[in-house]
Amino acid sequence: MDTTRKIQMNVNGTSYSDEIDVRTTLVDFLRVNCGLTGTHVGCEHGVCGACTILWNGNAVRSCIMLAVQADGSEISTVEGLAPGSELHPIQQAFMEEHGLQCGFCTPGFMMSIYEMISRNPDPSDEEIKDVLGGQICRCTGYQTIFKAVRSAIDKMAAANKSAAQG
Amino acid sequence: MSVKIPTSIDQLPNSNPRFIGQEVNRVEDPSLLTGRTQFIDDLVLPGMLHCAILRSPHPHAKIVSIDTSEAEKLEGVLSVATGKDAKELTNPAPTAPEGWGAYCLAADKVRFVGEPVAAIAATSRYIAEDALELIEIEYENLDVIVDAHKAAQDGSPLIFEEHGSNVMMQRVFTWGEVDQAFADADHVVTEKYRWNRLGANPLETYGCISKWDLLENSLTLWASVQSQSHVALGRAVVLGLPSNKVRVISQPHGGSFGGKGGFRGPDIAAILSRKAGGRPVKWIEDRMEYLGGGAGQSWDRHYELSLALTNDGEVTGLRVKLLDDLGATAEAFGTVSAAKPLAAFVGCYAIPVAEYDLTMVVTNKLPGAPYRGMGPPPHNWALEQTMDVAARKLGLDPTEIRRKNFIQPSQFPYIIPSGNEYDSGEYEAALDGVLEMSQYKALREEQARARQEGRYLGIGVVNTIEPGVFDWNAYAIVGVQGTGVPEGVTIAIDIMGKITCKLGFSLEGQGQYTVVTQVLADYFNVEMADIEIVYQDTLSAPPHFGPGGSRLGVAITGASLGAAEMLVDKLCTVAAVLMQTERENIEFMDGFCRIKGMPDAKMHFAEVAGAILARSDLLPPGMDPSPQATFAWTAAGRTQADDQGRAKSYLTAANACHVVLVEVDIETGHTEILKYFIVDDCGTRLNPSNVEGMTQGGVAQGVGAALLEEYVYDEGGQLLTSTFMDYLMPSVYEVPMTEKKALVTPSPFTPLGAKGAGEGSMHTTPAAIMCAINDALSPLGIKAHEVPAAPNRIWSLIQQARAGESR
Ligand code: FES
Ligand code: FES
Repeated sequence: MDTTRKIQMNVNGTSYSDEIDVRTTLVDFLRVNCGLTGTHVGCEHGVCGACTILWNGNAVRSCIMLAVQADGSEISTVEGLAPGSELHPIQQAFMEEHGLQCGFCTPGFMMSIYEMISRNPDPSDEEIKDVLGGQICRCTGYQTIFKAVRSAIDKMAAANKSAAQG
Repeated sequence: MSVKIPTSIDQLPNSNPRFIGQEVNRVEDPSLLTGRTQFIDDLVLPGMLHCAILRSPHPHAKIVSIDTSEAEKLEGVLSVATGKDAKELTNPAPTAPEGWGAYCLAADKVRFVGEPVAAIAATSRYIAEDALELIEIEYENLDVIVDAHKAAQDGSPLIFEEHGSNVMMQRVFTWGEVDQAFADADHVVTEKYRWNRLGANPLETYGCISKWDLLENSLTLWASVQSQSHVALGRAVVLGLPSNKVRVISQPHGGSFGGKGGFRGPDIAAILSRKAGGRPVKWIEDRMEYLGGGAGQSWDRHYELSLALTNDGEVTGLRVKLLDDLGATAEAFGTVSAAKPLAAFVGCYAIPVAEYDLTMVVTNKLPGAPYRGMGPPPHNWALEQTMDVAARKLGLDPTEIRRKNFIQPSQFPYIIPSGNEYDSGEYEAALDGVLEMSQYKALREEQARARQEGRYLGIGVVNTIEPGVFDWNAYAIVGVQGTGVPEGVTIAIDIMGKITCKLGFSLEGQGQYTVVTQVLADYFNVEMADIEIVYQDTLSAPPHFGPGGSRLGVAITGASLGAAEMLVDKLCTVAAVLMQTERENIEFMDGFCRIKGMPDAKMHFAEVAGAILARSDLLPPGMDPSPQATFAWTAAGRTQADDQGRAKSYLTAANACHVVLVEVDIETGHTEILKYFIVDDCGTRLNPSNVEGMTQGGVAQGVGAALLEEYVYDEGGQLLTSTFMDYLMPSVYEVPMTEKKALVTPSPFTPLGAKGAGEGSMHTTPAAIMCAINDALSPLGIKAHEVPAAPNRIWSLIQQARAGESR
């Protein structure tokens, strides 16, 4: 049986391809083969959400997906949020609201939140809770994360508005 | 020179401090938010191998034989290690009390499920794990002991044969005329409690890279460690290396909460590295390894607590009996958790005499490790819950019995029976503050109305002390030695006038780099961006310990201020020469060395520092041309423990009062937190948002402790909660969004008046929730005295109560 396969995917707009062991998880591919170590592993069994990334626009847990499943797809990771020297509004909001302590869970949270806001720029508290409920943070007790989400929503709405006016 | 450190913000040489005490953005955040911070698993070294560990499936068994020959043949495997190597190349882990440690790979027998027995280093983790499957081990099972009471009995199977008993320590500490107090009491209330195992579970597990270089006789360890110097010393002892040949490089890590000690992994990886010719070997603990074999299980305790009381509710004596199940060995330093309650044994109360009857046993479970709070959280629950039981018995409101017994502000500094000194506090003000915020009377009315409707609401009112700024002397009763925990920094000014501060700990989450930056920016009156924090490893940094025991915020502030004072003294000496006056005429203010009484005769510190570096012709003779200073801070006035363990140990006593409203669904046993209020007093707040973060984060962990988290072992010693599917971590659904207020009673003894605050609500929340649940269930005559109060447990209690009624 063939145990390796060549795969290719676009991560944050850059194409990566490699010959990999078929059992390689997506998160290992991103971290080891692509060198994108901003995506973290907290449990490796699909519960904590630290490894959340966007796969063709959908938030998924990259620890329980195989890299071969993502062959040919578009992936976004935390490194893609702020490619330049400016923080993304979600990142800015996390900083201002003290939405992180150790920061290990934060990339996963931000990718889930990014997906939620892209789907629905004006979510209710319940919808926000629903998204945060799938992520574990051991440090913050979630209160400041919740505030950061609200602030990020406002920042992004304001940016969209001024873009539309401009 | 002797250095005087400012004890309040207004003593800083700055007429308008802009940063300290403010909610500034953290300097740590931009790199964390963009995924650029380098955690241990992000680090890749040339030639690096990957380690996987084979663990025992048996709780207690002799190792008859190990055959690794097939594993060795697998392509990509470079070294294999077993207990034989550990015995040959290393020493057993040091412990307190002494002699209860083991080799990093089980040598002759295994003592718990999950104990490492063999390890592989290979070119990838995938291959290393494949190779584990090729190792053949024959075991001969021994009798298993998981029950602490049985473990303490004669004739029970022995975990350490050489000791002839499973009792690591048994002693009664008596502080005052306790028998008399109980004989004279109008009432004695005695209650039993069971606190089940739970643990730190930082979101990042432990990880390390070990490089044992035979030629250099040195170890370099890159690791996610909390207290790097302590870990380095441990490695020197275990690997038999000179202490100045062990370099520990602490990577930023994803939380610790006491659990990032690096239990066994670094030594196993070191053996593999040595056997692979000194190639670096990385070991990343996975979550299942953490849960079943890491430094992540704490506080497996059986309590009996008695209060002696007068008729009107004054507590005249306290007895605490603790049977502490430390698991298979003492190597993870869980034992210190049994000693720490001495630092705040009587909580907020002026109880004059007390007794501690302490038994620590070993069993066939994972060795117990430290966790946030380090031991008092279960003690606090037993004490506070018994206060409620006593109040109910005497017909008092829980707030009344507390109020009657508070240590009063005029009594500080106050020495408690177990020897520690509390620095300051306003316990009644904290209580009043939270009663007002929560509208306590209205909550009681709401509770009464709900009861009419057949709903069971409960209110918990709990106040505790958070001992801050630990000292080794606090743990003398379990055999820890020493007094003083130096924490040092080096501050330097470069030729362009920019400031660096070098220190010996890495990022962990509490935001201490930000605190140092705030302190120094105000001290020198510059922008925060003008200060750069530089991490240093164990061989480079001044004496240091790092985070632990709610200590670092205070200690690092003291170190930074001490070094700044020393450096400024030197600048002023040089400025005096440059401005042709005497040293005593120069003062430092707002970033300038200036002549007293002549506001315009001044030189900016950068200018003076530049002269020190580049104008030797102008310097006073004999001065070394280096605008930098190193200072290590430790708490003053600490004392050696006496024969009853009494010492001035923890320097500060922060106080918090929580009010929580819960509803218990008596059909399902499920508890929901409806409202949560906190007044917290940790003295001067160096960075209020850091403190609030610690408080709220502690609430979350407290909710886990009270309602969700539990390591369950079956009678055969198998762990039943080995994933996050069974070990339940609190999520946004369970953690309440709390309302918080600060009370500020500065410490008279500390830099800027700050108190330790890092353990936050972990001291208070478990007790507050449990008291609320018991309040809710008291009409049914139910005492819920076991944590976590999971639905199944509460449901069974309700069923028993109903069965009792119908009989
Ligand atoms: S690491 Fe993927 S869900 Fe935890
Ligand atoms: S900030 Fe540490 S786990 Fe969330």
